[in-house]
Amino acid sequence: MNSPTTGPASALADALAAEYAAIWAYGVIGVHLTEAARTAARAAEAAHRSRRDALLLQLAEGSGQVPADRAGYALPYPVTDRASALRLAVEIEERTAGHWRAALPHTTGADRNTALAALTDCALRATRWRRTAGVTPVTVPFPGRPA
Amino acid sequence: MALGGATAPLTGCDLFDRDEEPPEPDALEPLVAEALALEARYRAAATADPALAGRLTPIADAHRAHAEELRRVIGRPAPSGTPAAGSASAPAPDAVLTELRRAEQEGRTNAAKACAAAPAERAALLGSIAAARATHVEALK
Repeated sequence: MNSPTTGPASALADALAAEYAAIWAYGVIGVHLTEAARTAARAAEAAHRSRRDALLLQLAEGSGQVPADRAGYALPYPVTDRASALRLAVEIEERTAGHWRAALPHTTGADRNTALAALTDCALRATRWRRTAGVTPVTVPFPGRPA
Repeated sequence: MALGGATAPLTGCDLFDRDEEPPEPDALEPLVAEALALEARYRAAATADPALAGRLTPIADAHRAHAEELRRVIGRPAPSGTPAAGSASAPAPDAVLTELRRAEQEGRTNAAKACAAAPAERAALLGSIAAARATHVEALK
């Protein structure tokens, strides 16, 4: 990282902040799901933790700010049942996809491939959550692109 | 080149007459062609088996949107006309879906490669296209 406040480090710091929020959200989401959906939520949370850990390592090697996790995050709406939990899961994945997409122009080589893999994983989980929720179509034309 | 001097009217080989040799093909042209070919495959499959149309039409629309966005980034208009659809024979739905998955997976790999090699200003669009194609494979399961 040669640019501590703008460019690559900043884009990856934003992705890290999004991963923190996703991990936190899955704690809320998971309790409203059962069986296969709860298992999928646990797997999704583990995947986000793994991305978070990789980003922490990567950002620690640079000279830029490494954002800290927060104690809690504001939910966009009350999550009280399966339907609202699945809706939040879709939105969290799309939002995190957006941050990884935004990192693509600021990365090259292996870092860009990592960002693309993360974007793709988020998009795949969003698609699976839409299917679980019975939302159609299950895909969006441009995953991660701001609406 | 005459740029409107007193004795040089703007005719013939002037500023607005771009009949010079054609420019180098853009690196994204193959991806445009692939998106349009994928669109045609999905439309043909949806026509052959209307029961699949609900699943396949949004994906066909996404490929069309990708082609249009790629064209915009390339900065050249699309050639008129739509590409010829593939053979419109109607194999069993399972075979259709398997074949679409294979084509989509190949397209995903191509878009990911294009993303890896792209200049910064094209990386986000190509990343979204690669991710979209991955979700299409998932939606066909």
